[in-house]
Amino acid sequence: MKDHNVSRRTFLTGGVATLATAMTAGPGLAASEAGAKNLQVWSCGGLAEAFIPANALFESRAGARIAYTGAFAAALGKSLLGNAQTEVFAPRVLDLAKKLKEQGKMLEYHPLCFTRYVLVTPKGNPAGITSIADLKRPDVHAVLSPDSSAPGGQAVTGLLKKAGVVQEATANAAFLGSCIQHDVAEVAEGRAHASVVEMRVTRLPRYKDKLEVIDIPEEFFPAPPITFTIGVMKWAKDQELARAFVEFIRSEPGQACFEAAGFIPAMSEEGQRLTAKYGVLNG
Amino acid sequence: MVRHLWIRRLTQAASLYVIGTFSYYGIFRCPFAVPYVSCENCPVLQCPGRKIWLPVWIAILASALAFGRAFCSHACPGGMVAELFSRVSLLRGKVRGMADRVLSSGKYLALMACIYVFWFMHNPRWAVPIRTGGFTESTMLTFEHAFPLWFARTGIVLGALALGLVIPHFWCRYLCPTGAALRLAGFRPLFRYFMSKDCTDCGVCNRKCDLETRPAKHNCTNCGDCAGKCPAGAIKLGR
Repeated sequence: MKDHNVSRRTFLTGGVATLATAMTAGPGLAASEAGAKNLQVWSCGGLAEAFIPANALFESRAGARIAYTGAFAAALGKSLLGNAQTEVFAPRVLDLAKKLKEQGKMLEYHPLCFTRYVLVTPKGNPAGITSIADLKRPDVHAVLSPDSSAPGGQAVTGLLKKAGVVQEATANAAFLGSCIQHDVAEVAEGRAHASVVEMRVTRLPRYKDKLEVIDIPEEFFPAPPITFTIGVMKWAKDQELARAFVEFIRSEPGQACFEAAGFIPAMSEEGQRLTAKYGVLNG
Repeated sequence: MVRHLWIRRLTQAASLYVIGTFSYYGIFRCPFAVPYVSCENCPVLQCPGRKIWLPVWIAILASALAFGRAFCSHACPGGMVAELFSRVSLLRGKVRGMADRVLSSGKYLALMACIYVFWFMHNPRWAVPIRTGGFTESTMLTFEHAFPLWFARTGIVLGALALGLVIPHFWCRYLCPTGAALRLAGFRPLFRYFMSKDCTDCGVCNRKCDLETRPAKHNCTNCGDCAGKCPAGAIKLGR
């Protein structure tokens, strides 16, 4: 130790200084602009591609800073039903919003958007798939992700059950994965014939031009993961700002971000039909 | 010698700036069993690995062909933490000989396990991905909603790094799969430190080495710190 050319003190000082420099330069640590209002927003992770541009629009218009977290809604919901806090929350599954409202943690909720499930194949559709029923064919090897988060796992399994193809599709699967966004790459790269995903997945830059999309009849969709709501939470320090944000997200420019990301905006004609169908009334 | 050391420090600092965040995400936020390799299709939007993972891996493997495990000593953020811990390790020079060689095989087993999980198990997801969010909050949420296997994986990495406080560079020497891959890829590098025929076998290099090895021997990361310490001036840089 004594023979080191750089002493322990110098080394430790240098190391701490370097770490401090790197961390200061890292994302997420930048201090908010002085004087700007802050709003903490949590949402289902599937909505992240829509919320990120919508948040930026709101920030530029309202001069506020949005601290945004997007993750699996059931996980965030579990945290919020426990001790976690946020100011605005946009969950998937209507029951979660209802539960939060019943506990007095969410002050009110409104319909935000809807998702839909589609069948995807590689470009050119090499297996000649035309409908969900083709997943029964022994020569069709789909990628299924039963262990992924509920909207990709249990929901798709439920959809396949309703369509009467779950046994064959599972038995003939190319593989059974655990993360739909990761696993669908097998379809995009042509190593599997098909998969069932949310429409939003087909709009991700990674997959945008690599998948063929085939509609699945709505009658097969499982109801719970289809609906998204948004609401102000009781912890909102600036209720006016929180409500202005929710209003903006539900307005035309905000909803356009959701449509671009592959969702059906609640304000659209189709969205209003689904609002009535699934009973997503303002709560 | 001092000049060489400061070049290494500057390289480490520059690397920390470029891949430090990626490195952090791999350990604390990556939802997959094997981090740093499924980045292209990863749902964690904030991770810089989505954009830089491929160039980073190409650069690391190219560095292995040219300089062996020099990435470990010159650029790896984990290696830097291990080096920091090694300065205060309690058991310096206590794990040597057969024990050292047997333990060193651990990193090759770890590499094989990673290849198996990635290749044959499609790199399963072991945690809920926190797609985007505040720095501290997202890390805490990742821990709050991770699965037991993710805790085991993360615990092994952090535990082995922390063991560096007891046995110098425990993680780098005995468990790091990247180190094992670089050792295999850079088995005959273009440039490396080696002992010339002037070596008197005095063992000074071994005693001074943070990784408790000798130039060009197993676990040597081509840091070059030993070059200026050889009393016979027998440690050279070359092929």
